[in-house]
Amino acid sequence: MTKFTLTNGKLVQKPFNRVWVILAVLLVLIIIFWQFIFLPETLTLDQLGSVLKQMFTPKNDIMAHRTWSDYFAYILELIPRLVLTLKMAFAGGVIGSLIAFPVAVLAAKNITKNKWIYGPFKFIMNIVRTIPAVIMVVLGSFFVGIGVLAAIIGFTLFSFGIMAKMLYEVIETTDMNAFEALESTGANKIQAFRYAVLPQILPIFISYLIYVFEINIRASIILGYVGVECIGSAIYENVLFNYDRVGATVILLFVVIVIIQVFSNWVRGKLQ
Amino acid sequence: MIKFVDVKKTYLNGVQALKGINLEIHDGEFVAIIGLSGAGKSTLLRSINKMIDITSGELFIDDVEVGSIKGKELRMLRRSIGMIFQSFNLVRRMSVFNNVISGRVAYHSTLKTIFGLFPAQEKLLALESLDAMGILDKAFTRADQLSGGQQQRVALARALTQEPKLILADEPVASLDPITTIQVMDDFAKINKKFGITIVANMHHVDLALKYATRIIGIKDGQVVYDGLSKDITDDILINIYGRNLKHDELLGE
Repeated sequence: MTKFTLTNGKLVQKPFNRVWVILAVLLVLIIIFWQFIFLPETLTLDQLGSVLKQMFTPKNDIMAHRTWSDYFAYILELIPRLVLTLKMAFAGGVIGSLIAFPVAVLAAKNITKNKWIYGPFKFIMNIVRTIPAVIMVVLGSFFVGIGVLAAIIGFTLFSFGIMAKMLYEVIETTDMNAFEALESTGANKIQAFRYAVLPQILPIFISYLIYVFEINIRASIILGYVGVECIGSAIYENVLFNYDRVGATVILLFVVIVIIQVFSNWVRGKLQ
Repeated sequence: MIKFVDVKKTYLNGVQALKGINLEIHDGEFVAIIGLSGAGKSTLLRSINKMIDITSGELFIDDVEVGSIKGKELRMLRRSIGMIFQSFNLVRRMSVFNNVISGRVAYHSTLKTIFGLFPAQEKLLALESLDAMGILDKAFTRADQLSGGQQQRVALARALTQEPKLILADEPVASLDPITTIQVMDDFAKINKKFGITIVANMHHVDLALKYATRIIGIKDGQVVYDGLSKDITDDILINIYGRNLKHDELLGE
């Protein structure tokens, strides 16, 4: 706490800023985790370089003799799997986000003033968010068996968790002055929401939708582990012996993510 | 007609904002409420359309007792009362036209308004309100591209589109510069005279209140200490309302 005494004797106290405590805690946590990462020296710089070389050059040893044209042909071979992955990520992202929308509204305490309503919805959101995507897919496969449908269910839940959390925070920070004005014209809460809050959050919702889609594509790697024939399974199948194919898959994923990123920036520019 | 009968308001934190208000405001009047900040002006104004619930007493608008109504009845009352705010309270990223037409939503079912459908004559009404405020050419620009004075006019157009019989204004010009302040106050005068709409406004600038309002209500510590014509106001009365001489910032000083 800082105290100032003015020349005329008046005393001003600057209140303690909690941000510093939070920053200090974060710093300690970072130091602790840093140790976990680097103390057990599992990976040396040399090894890292060798792995990268194996990933981004065609495999050529006693097990396989592949050329650069094989390397790029494999990327083309992956396209159908990529398309399926995009479809699943998109379907899950859209369905999950649409379900997240009303839940986020009900969880926002500036709209739902009753804590017995927004409390439980916040709780549900937080529970869903703690479950990793892979568990979601496994949960889905309990009901419908391993396959595309299970993957979509998993992505739906996963997207729901991300979208509901991000969206309710946006709703809670919207400017409520216009909402007050709408209520003063005699609008009911739904109408006031539609005309005062929705115009503020809709562009953000759409930009988040693209973001969720992108996260889903990255998270789709894990689908390989549960046996869905997708871009992730290409990594899973090859991760032990064919580093070059893993590298090719990574290049393809990288290109797709960059394209989505560019598209997302363009849409966001339009929405401003 | 607005009628306060021994209206009291105590906030949850124990602050007594209104301590027994008795008032009658007649149709077509232009009333300015003046007093120190914290005297209860805003509470008084907001209790009229029940944006704030009163604790005791009775408040009538025509024959409706505001304290006892809720739900649909309350919304019906509110749609006949326009409200103007210090910070304009527009949706900044929405077009001026959409802001103005939103003054009509209370006239329609929720379902219809969700899809943003309004009858053609209401769209015309919205445009005519904008025209009356002299900003018809801004109809399809975004609200946040307008100056403060223009934004307050959009808010006035939104209120007019409600076809109100009364407009409440809570410090309508407090965040505007002196020149646009005059323009917006002229708009209020025009709305009062041309459309015959009653205006009740909280005013920070005393000279503006005296110039534009026909009647002044002085509030001090939750009570009415002056209620009379603005031309009858004397320096002694103002000193009584404010408990001191007026400060420089309480006068626009044209």
